[in-house]
Amino acid sequence: MALVEIRNLSKSFRKGDEVIAPLAGVDLDVEHGDFISMMGPSGTGKSTLLNLVSGIDRPDSGSITVDGVEITKLPRGKLADWRAANLGYIFQTHNLVPVLTAYENVELPSLLLPISAAERRKRVQLALEAVGLSDRADHYPRQLSGGQEQRVGIARAIVAHPTVVVADEPTGSLDAATSVQIQILLKRLNRELGITMLMVTHDPNVAAIATRRLTLDRGQIIEMQADELVEHT
Amino acid sequence: MIRVFGKFAPYVVKTLWRHRSRTLLTVCGAAVAMFVFCFVGSVQEGLRRLTADEDAQRTLIVFQENRFCPTSSRLPQDYVGRIQKLPGVAEVMPVQVWTNNCRASLDIVVFNGAPPKQLRQARELTLLAGNWTEFETRRDAAIVGRNVAQRRRLSPGSQFSIGEMSVQVAGVFSSPVPSEENVIYTSLDFLQYGRGQDFVGIATQLEVKPTEGTDPDELARRIDETLKSGPVATTTRSKGAFQTSTLSDLVDLIDFAHWLGYACLALVLSLVATTTVMSVQDRIQEHAVLQTLGLRPARIFRLVIGESMLVCTIGGLAGTAVALVALGWGGMAIGAEGVTIAFRPSAQLALLGSLISVVVGIIAGVFPAIQAARTPIVMALRQA
Repeated sequence: MALVEIRNLSKSFRKGDEVIAPLAGVDLDVEHGDFISMMGPSGTGKSTLLNLVSGIDRPDSGSITVDGVEITKLPRGKLADWRAANLGYIFQTHNLVPVLTAYENVELPSLLLPISAAERRKRVQLALEAVGLSDRADHYPRQLSGGQEQRVGIARAIVAHPTVVVADEPTGSLDAATSVQIQILLKRLNRELGITMLMVTHDPNVAAIATRRLTLDRGQIIEMQADELVEHT
Repeated sequence: MIRVFGKFAPYVVKTLWRHRSRTLLTVCGAAVAMFVFCFVGSVQEGLRRLTADEDAQRTLIVFQENRFCPTSSRLPQDYVGRIQKLPGVAEVMPVQVWTNNCRASLDIVVFNGAPPKQLRQARELTLLAGNWTEFETRRDAAIVGRNVAQRRRLSPGSQFSIGEMSVQVAGVFSSPVPSEENVIYTSLDFLQYGRGQDFVGIATQLEVKPTEGTDPDELARRIDETLKSGPVATTTRSKGAFQTSTLSDLVDLIDFAHWLGYACLALVLSLVATTTVMSVQDRIQEHAVLQTLGLRPARIFRLVIGESMLVCTIGGLAGTAVALVALGWGGMAIGAEGVTIAFRPSAQLALLGSLISVVVGIIAGVFPAIQAARTPIVMALRQA
């Protein structure tokens, strides 16, 4: 059984009189340890799919099952609990809480878990070490560079030991050099810690670090081979 | 409060600190409004305690008919003996009243002259300084209520003069009836025979204590009936009714002032609600991020309520505390025609002020909290 099973997933939006359906009967299996990148032109439903898998949006129909839990059936409160325990989310614009230090930002998701304060401290320190920011723990977001902020965002996404980590354009707001550093970090986290990742990107170079590359076109997912991606690039 | 915030207390406190100017202004606004609310509350409580306590209901005041200001009521002192003979009367005490101002005033000085021994039995006065013996033996000696002493900086041994009246302070007293603490007691003789006084054989009012089981209203009726044939007709009422009637203009004003109290609460409510709404609208995306990380909408609701409650409670407690200190320290009173209402701090007022601060804080936070908790996450995240 796949870690994430997406079945016949559809989602549409109303824009004035027009109905837009970026996802129409999508099926996808994500295995443990997969690192999946999703590409496609704007408006093809990449972020919509990511939001549905994250449980922050609801589909019109279809189901998403993560590690045996059908999250599309969970009520709002239970879905929040599921996110706390099972989901890590890396935002394009980092979205750190400005009034909290790097340490406190990383600590936030773990505050929701039934773990001791000592265990929480240990996890936060390990997460900060994993992204190479132990020495910036007491810094506020405004005192960090864009790349450092994104690394704090990544540490925050992995601190609760989630079942799956989703990343929405994780390098979208970074310069080229910093983007490469983040790509290396994501790849390392997937390889060394076995974290299952689902990433949306516009950048084929970033997509290339994934072990599976998907493209979304007219509401459907197409799996690409490595050489196709090179061609695409 | 800790339960509401839980592990997110640093986040709430730091969020408020981030906009410290806004937070401080809101706290100050809430403090000022609660200060006024407590002041208004203390006046109302003073009036209630003056007119509704048991002594005020049981004791009768005999006053000259159709007279209101103490300077115009002149009862023959021999009425004491005639009333004393009526069945159901336990004690009659003649009281001569002198006041510097018959109109409503915040700095009214009221002298009550009564036989010292009788006064000691009739009133529950506790001497805080000085001694009774000097009061009982020295003709121009006076014992001064705590509020007057505080206001006029009087202590035993000091001389106090106002107009032609001049007394030597023999003691400072406290009383369970706050308005008593605005009175200066002298001997009856001193006020009747003092310089510039012309009240020989005259008393302003007679205080009548009925015996146990006697109906005070019935006794009042019999007193007026008995004295109808005397040189001066009388009106006898319970002390509470007498004081309410004497202060009738002020009572209307004080009744109206409770709307000012409610207006203060509405002001705090709208001030804190506006600040919280602004704070929530600034952080729509931040709340969406917190929900994405796994915070339940109910927890977001509680965090916003907590912020609002914290701001309002700090402001409210500060305002209440300052009001209580000012009331206790200032010894203020308002009075008219020789009757005073004391503004006194009380545990009840402190409790009410604190409770209202918390409740108003919660109510002020409800709308913004619902707004924060119900905003769809995806839509809010797009508001970058």
